[in-house]
Amino acid sequence: MLSRTAESLYWLGRYLERAENLARLADVNLQTSTEQTSDGVEAWDAVIATMGAQDAFSEAQEDNPGLTPADFVIYSTQYPQSLRSTISQARGLAREIREYLSREVFEEINRLYLSTSRSPGDESHRVLYANVKRSVAAILGLFDNTVLLTEGREWFRCGLFLERADMTSRIIDTKYFILLPSSDEVGGPLDRYQWMSVLRSASALEAFRKRHRGTVTGARVAGLLMFDREFPRSLVFCLLALRRHFERATADTPDARSVAAEREIALLELDLRAADSADVIRSGLHQFLDEFQARLGRVDQALRDDIFRALPEAPPR
Amino acid sequence: MFAPDGSVRAPYRAFHDRLSQWDADTYRRRQAIADLDTLNSGITFTVYNDDAGTERIFPFSLVPRIIAPSEWARVERGLGQRVTALNRFLGDIYGEQRCIRDGVIPAELVFDHSAYRLRMAGFTPPLGVYCHIAGIDLIRDQEGVFRVLEDNLRTPSGVSYVIENRRTMLNTVPELFPDARVQPVDGYPERLLEMLAAVRPEGVPADHVRSVILTPGPHNSAYFEHSFLARQMGIELVEGRDLVVDDDRVFLRATTGLERVHVIYRRVDDDFLDPLVFRSDSLLGVTGLMNAYLAGNVTVVNAVGTGVADDKTTYRYVPDLIRYYLGEEPIIPNVDTYTGWKAEDLEYMLDHLHELVLKPSDGSGGYGIVVGPQASPETLDAARERVRSDPRKWIAQPVQEFSTIPSFNGDVFEPRRADLRPFVITGDSSWVLPGGLTRVAANTESYIVNSSQGGGSKDTWVLRSDPEGDPAAPFPVQSQSHAQEQ
Repeated sequence: MLSRTAESLYWLGRYLERAENLARLADVNLQTSTEQTSDGVEAWDAVIATMGAQDAFSEAQEDNPGLTPADFVIYSTQYPQSLRSTISQARGLAREIREYLSREVFEEINRLYLSTSRSPGDESHRVLYANVKRSVAAILGLFDNTVLLTEGREWFRCGLFLERADMTSRIIDTKYFILLPSSDEVGGPLDRYQWMSVLRSASALEAFRKRHRGTVTGARVAGLLMFDREFPRSLVFCLLALRRHFERATADTPDARSVAAEREIALLELDLRAADSADVIRSGLHQFLDEFQARLGRVDQALRDDIFRALPEAPPR
Repeated sequence: MFAPDGSVRAPYRAFHDRLSQWDADTYRRRQAIADLDTLNSGITFTVYNDDAGTERIFPFSLVPRIIAPSEWARVERGLGQRVTALNRFLGDIYGEQRCIRDGVIPAELVFDHSAYRLRMAGFTPPLGVYCHIAGIDLIRDQEGVFRVLEDNLRTPSGVSYVIENRRTMLNTVPELFPDARVQPVDGYPERLLEMLAAVRPEGVPADHVRSVILTPGPHNSAYFEHSFLARQMGIELVEGRDLVVDDDRVFLRATTGLERVHVIYRRVDDDFLDPLVFRSDSLLGVTGLMNAYLAGNVTVVNAVGTGVADDKTTYRYVPDLIRYYLGEEPIIPNVDTYTGWKAEDLEYMLDHLHELVLKPSDGSGGYGIVVGPQASPETLDAARERVRSDPRKWIAQPVQEFSTIPSFNGDVFEPRRADLRPFVITGDSSWVLPGGLTRVAANTESYIVNSSQGGGSKDTWVLRSDPEGDPAAPFPVQSQSHAQEQ
């Protein structure tokens, strides 16, 4: 298929997944801040830290001192990673590759865009978050049920799972940025509460209860969100899916184009499967997640340089 | 919709009966539903310098233009005749140039024209077709006669609105349709696809042909249409950067490598098509495309160089061209036009300037237009001076009155002037989409139907059979066949 369209589908998958994760993250933070006033603000700071957006946020705050982290991450039209910008970019791409999508998929993306493009304040935040989550779920369902199962759909899935792996790793990492008050200790009530927020942010609390009868501990949460092969948002699940969809997408692609990305994906997947959650926590969860995100970045780079934007080779005779 | 005596014209009767059952509230409610349908399907334009996310839809009126089949049959024949003659004309000026030797049209008018492409001389495109897709703008004059206002032979747009307007009507006001009596319009993409395959380069097997649409990109105002047609035909929508030329063959940049392209339905103007031959600063084109085209390895649709034939001055000569090439009288007349190229026209122009509209022949956007009846004597004198100093740059037409169709202004129905752009596809033979794009002016006074001037559009119905003379005759209710129609 057309390289440009493949790249757009890959990014459409990334943006939609990112939007859904941001909405869920914001929803959980809203809940947390309702329950524990002072910690809510810190939770947002952690979100900004884990997205690597501290500088962008302080800059925006200089122009507008009243700006809250939530307004920045959700509504900002200046910050390209905000929920609103993300949806706007997804819709822009959908418009560009509309001929590839079904009418139903495009119209749902368009509706999502129209419903979030209005200025904030005219509906409650929870309604907005619920709307985004439901709408993205509808788009994925329509995609599965109305778009031909061809190479393009595999690229869409590649983008989706790569982004999900990235977002899950960032959600786990928020815990690193929330400092425990010195009076509390690891394993104490606040520590447990924070890990539960992490679970909720990844839609994983129920899955956790099915896996573990006991208390919520950092090691168990990290184990589920990183290494559980049956949990659909875990890092290893996403990498297995990414590898599978990548192989299908590149079934007819010459090695010269596909091998660099394939190598990055396969090595990352194998390293994850070989890792152990206790070891990871002992040697530094944050460092592990940082490295993981950097390696996803290399996958993205290889996809762009070798496949989506590869220079044309000699044409077939 | 109405005859001069106030009675409802025959083709509109069934529709009028149904609409009469609505009150203003019903109409407003249905209009809102139709507008939402349009907004959701993304047929919008963005209003710049406004709050983010402000997108507007083109105004759409639920009252269609309705045409009786007997009347349409004549229009259809007339359009076929006109496009055939225009294709013959283009083949001639890039070939033997008989029309020039025979004095039908002045040589300078053709060869000095900025849209004449010397590179096309001596080249014959597949099947000899130049204008594969033509949009011919028509109006109905005071006598109810359709006349050609303008030929659009480069990259005419608007057909996606025809198809989407019909879809919106069927979705939101199905009960206004006289049962199964309106000819469908959604056959267009299939006809287009068949035509693209028919004009493929020699030697390419029919089941092997790869057609694409070439767009300037998402920022082009007609991008929705480019993407719509690609989706409807199931072919790729490409930009210039997606194509490469090697050894005079065109390839598409795919994930798996390069893939051969045979037919390009381009929605990019000649000037931007190939930086090697035309504007060298063009980023929208494909380097080397023109050589591949002239080598016969790829077909470009519409052909390069058709702009000579849809020029304002050439328009004056089209009736003569029809007579010359086909030996027939034009079925659809032109609007009376006078050009400074003809001595007798020039004399008439100068004598009657106070009753004519004077236009520069190469202008667009209304620049340099003098409306005779509204101009002061000084303005007219100055205009005469300009015409005398360079007569070939000017054309003049009488103030043209044209027909109106009712539109709802929010409270009441009011008449709005409307034109009609039917679309003609030509490959092995010509096919005319039943109906076309009806564009309406923004208010009762306006003569301008362009969307850029706030105009809107309507669905256009060509009925399947002529309505009976008796206005009271009930229409057969066939819910079965109505369902099939949808």
